[in-house]
Amino acid sequence: MGQLKLENLKKSFGNVEVIKGVSLDVKHGEFIVFVGPSGCGKSTLLRMIAGLEDITDGNVIIDDVRVNSLPPVKRGIAMVFQSYALYPHMNVYENIAFPLRVEKLKQAEIDSKVHKAAEILKLTERLNYRPGELSGGQRQRVAIGRAIVREPSIFLFDEPLSNLDAALRASMRIELSKLHNDLDATMIYVTHDQIEAMTMADRIVVLDGGYISQVGTPLELYHNPENIFVAGFIGNPKMNFIDVTCMGTTKTGVKVQLPTGEELTLPVAPRDGIKGQTLSLGIRPEHTLLDGADIKLTLNANVVERLGVQTVVYANSPGGEEGLSEDPEETNRFCSLQDGLATITPGQDLEIGLKASDCHLFDANGAAFKRSVDLLDSKLPDM
Amino acid sequence: MINKYRWYEYIYIYIGIAIFVTFMLAPFLEAFLVSMRPLSGIFSVPYKIITEDMSFDAYFSMWHSVPKLHIYIMNSFFIASSVTIISLAVVIPSAWAFARFEFKGRDAFLGGFLAINMVGGAVLIIPLYKLMQSLGLLNTYWAMIIPGAAFTVPTGIWLLRSYMMKIPISLEEAAWVDGANRLYILRRVILPIAMPGIIVVAIATFITGYAQQFLFALVFNSKDVLNPLPVGIYQFFGRQTVLWHELMAASLVGILPVLIIYIFLQRYIVAGLTAGAVKE
Repeated sequence: MGQLKLENLKKSFGNVEVIKGVSLDVKHGEFIVFVGPSGCGKSTLLRMIAGLEDITDGNVIIDDVRVNSLPPVKRGIAMVFQSYALYPHMNVYENIAFPLRVEKLKQAEIDSKVHKAAEILKLTERLNYRPGELSGGQRQRVAIGRAIVREPSIFLFDEPLSNLDAALRASMRIELSKLHNDLDATMIYVTHDQIEAMTMADRIVVLDGGYISQVGTPLELYHNPENIFVAGFIGNPKMNFIDVTCMGTTKTGVKVQLPTGEELTLPVAPRDGIKGQTLSLGIRPEHTLLDGADIKLTLNANVVERLGVQTVVYANSPGGEEGLSEDPEETNRFCSLQDGLATITPGQDLEIGLKASDCHLFDANGAAFKRSVDLLDSKLPDM
Repeated sequence: MINKYRWYEYIYIYIGIAIFVTFMLAPFLEAFLVSMRPLSGIFSVPYKIITEDMSFDAYFSMWHSVPKLHIYIMNSFFIASSVTIISLAVVIPSAWAFARFEFKGRDAFLGGFLAINMVGGAVLIIPLYKLMQSLGLLNTYWAMIIPGAAFTVPTGIWLLRSYMMKIPISLEEAAWVDGANRLYILRRVILPIAMPGIIVVAIATFITGYAQQFLFALVFNSKDVLNPLPVGIYQFFGRQTVLWHELMAASLVGILPVLIIYIFLQRYIVAGLTAGAVKE
């Protein structure tokens, strides 16, 4: 079994608190992805579960056993490292056999286990090669092979695909998902790449500054982000945020005024006492329309990127400063995704339309107003 | 291209190399030439490089002039090898510890090692004599081996530590996660990967052990059978004459083992001293 429970986990390096209290329940067989910007503590959290970092406070419980002070091997976990961490002086066979040799298994047993793992990972032909003679993808598979021979209850992956090129990453994603189905094991996967998170995860854990920002299925996070951080982090290109003023609430929603003066009622759960406050309206680039919308914004297109399947248009934020911000991460820019053949040229004035039902609304603290839109994922089969 | 030179630049470079190599090799050449001449021809004026009476006679007669010569050579080899083995047994685990583990006084220890290197054996020879005397080790092999090993450990730790620091820590973490204990990691992961570095340290230690045994043997040992070659060849200094040609022949034969080792292992030395990173 591979149940994992984190109870108010904390980690400090000296005076710096990196993990500030993380609690999480992972069921057997789940594929959990920790995602977040660099420095959010996701790798540290994984290493704490692995037993490579001491735990300052809180508990790690694996299969109902508190494992805080147990060495990694006693926790029933196996880990795949970002750098693969293959032993350069051993061939593929010995690399995969390493944990079994440590366990002092009989040669026949080692042989059968290594060959079984090699078969799963299509490495049988390569067993006599040294890691230096393998391609990046093959090395990664050897690293995974070394993890699966131990038959752990929980697999830990620390950004395993970040050293691979884009095409290989895409195919390894598919292989990892397949492996997860075949092995019936719990997997914890750390990445900063939200595509990996969205494609592979049963549930995504978004970490921000040592806290869990939100836990949910990929589509939950996409359609119902609980806060402005998750809304901005999930989705590519990023969600656009526009400062709006709350004009009042109705039974069905919140009425806001855009910087352009126009008013719009958003179908979100209203709260008391927000009239007059400045709120953030969030709209994903893929939900900006050229026609058929509830409200129109006039923007000036600065940059047009043509990707073939889509056209990405960057414009100055409505009501914001002209031109591009000094900080490229600053949300002074308004991004819109349009059809690949959309006739837009840089410098052109654009009429961008929004639908109220596509909009997200966040209060001054960044917390989301619950959307009362019929969500797509309620129609999806349970995962 | 940065490594493209003009023809005259090549000439400068080769002249420079030639001067350097001449300075390095001239003593060896002269030793060899002296060993080839009869004693009477060594101081002949004017100096000639090739003379008619050259022969390898000294290489045969030296064994008779100094009957224990082969014992001295064996002693030298034995002492230097023992120094190397003892030194490595200490250097490898401690270099790993100094490279990887945070402990109190680590930097102080490393600084202390450097300081010892600066002082050197000759300054400490009298206190060392007292120490050997009270330990009852005078006139034993140990009196030459132990100080030799002790003085090579600091350099060895410094050399090997910097090599081991380049081994990715994730290799050790991976082994640790797979259940290996520290000694198993040292043996199965660190030792093989650090082997080029270890060989460099071994050679450096052997050569140092070979070179410095003269001082320790001269002071701590008065038993003739235990003497290493550098002390042993003093017996070529006779009452009336010094058998220079045989002395040089004996020196060259004594250097031979080191030379042979060096030739076979030099690719490791170059690789070890220049290795940027361990290939993953």
